[in-house]
Amino acid sequence: MTWELFVFLFLAASALVSALLVVSSREIVHSVIALATCFIAVACLFVMLSAEFVAIIQIFVYVGAVVVVILFGIMLTKREIMESERR
Amino acid sequence: MNLYEFCYGIIHWLVDLVNNLWYWLGDVLPWVFGDFFDAVGDFAASDSNIAFFTILTEVLIIVIIALINVLNFIWLDRKFMGRMFDFYGPYYVGYRIGGWLQNLADGIKLFVKEIITPAKADRVGFLLAPVIFISSSFLALATIPLGRDFGIATNESGAGVPAGVLVAFAMFAIAPFSILIAGWSSNNKYTLIGGMRSAAQMMSYEIPMLLTVASVLLLAGSFSFSGVVDAQHDLWFAIPLFLGFIVFMVCLMAEVEIQPFDLPEAEAELVEGWTTEYCGMRFGLFMMTSYLRGYIGGALATALFLGGWHGPELIPDPIWFLIKAYTVFVIVEWTRWSLPRVRVDQILDIGWKRLMPLAVLNLFIAVAFKTMGWF
Repeated sequence: MTWELFVFLFLAASALVSALLVVSSREIVHSVIALATCFIAVACLFVMLSAEFVAIIQIFVYVGAVVVVILFGIMLTKREIMESERR
Repeated sequence: MNLYEFCYGIIHWLVDLVNNLWYWLGDVLPWVFGDFFDAVGDFAASDSNIAFFTILTEVLIIVIIALINVLNFIWLDRKFMGRMFDFYGPYYVGYRIGGWLQNLADGIKLFVKEIITPAKADRVGFLLAPVIFISSSFLALATIPLGRDFGIATNESGAGVPAGVLVAFAMFAIAPFSILIAGWSSNNKYTLIGGMRSAAQMMSYEIPMLLTVASVLLLAGSFSFSGVVDAQHDLWFAIPLFLGFIVFMVCLMAEVEIQPFDLPEAEAELVEGWTTEYCGMRFGLFMMTSYLRGYIGGALATALFLGGWHGPELIPDPIWFLIKAYTVFVIVEWTRWSLPRVRVDQILDIGWKRLMPLAVLNLFIAVAFKTMGWF
């Protein structure tokens, strides 16, 4: 087993696990953290495919902008609504 | 000789030294583990292992230089503030070197303080936010070379990270995310408001900043730091793109949250902004990282606008780079301690209505220069 395969398996597993956490975690901010982790892992996979530019833009656009916009959206909505839905 | 070759030489010499001893041990005790000793020695001397430890040494050197610069910056900041406000600044600890050791004393004090996690805090976010903030800042640091041959990015062929400028700004762009997480998970109104303000400010000042960076990259025709700096061999970009330089500096001050734009940690309104609930070394690391971001900002301004490591040959490249970065930092400090804080309703106006058109105008100027064929 080469190092490259090992790193690929690690990154793919972290992307998949964090993607699962996005839909399964009970606290909605935790799922945003998992979403960011998923995006970063995908960016690392792009680096492994020697597509560095795509990886940089992925981090720029997704982690730098999309995740923050989603976080803004979550934090500006009323928390009691989500709390009551959970019960 | 570049940094890679220097570290390679050191590591190679060390491995040879240890390996001689190791093989001798294997010869002395052949009846136990002779083959084992040989295998370990061969692994230690293999190319990939030496390359790995070479890069590790490079990282160590760059981080140590950056942390020494951060200590200098904090000291310079406090001394300069003292000079402007008519008091001495740090004075007693390290009396003979102008109170320079005060930072180390503060660091030790923060190390021995108790680390408290608030009971109602969201533990995952509370623990994760400093990690993301600090690691992304250090990754931005990793891309910046102090000289043509002096940076983590320089490998044996002398080439840097592909698109190093973009990597630095992409790593800068991660910070608002961690700040929002820190502000939310502390479960405190002050931190939440501070985090919101910080993220809104950073997101809105990032766009004019990136537009000015785009104009620089357009003139240089390269995404890498060495390409951008080499394009400034005859003329610094601060001269043709003076407007862009001003916009970049203002945006930089907003990005690293210093005085005219330090709304996220306005002491009079929000206790300590988004770091209110952090204590002990976690707060210390946040504060150190914010100064580190100041250092990175000064280095970026130097590399993109002030000709990087170019200068008369008398002084070596990295020293030129640091002189320019320190000058940028002192000018930033000067404005920092002279201006009052911007009001919260003015901050987005300045970003979107003033700086944004100026940045677009600057981009047009750069395009005009490029189409005229002057660069």
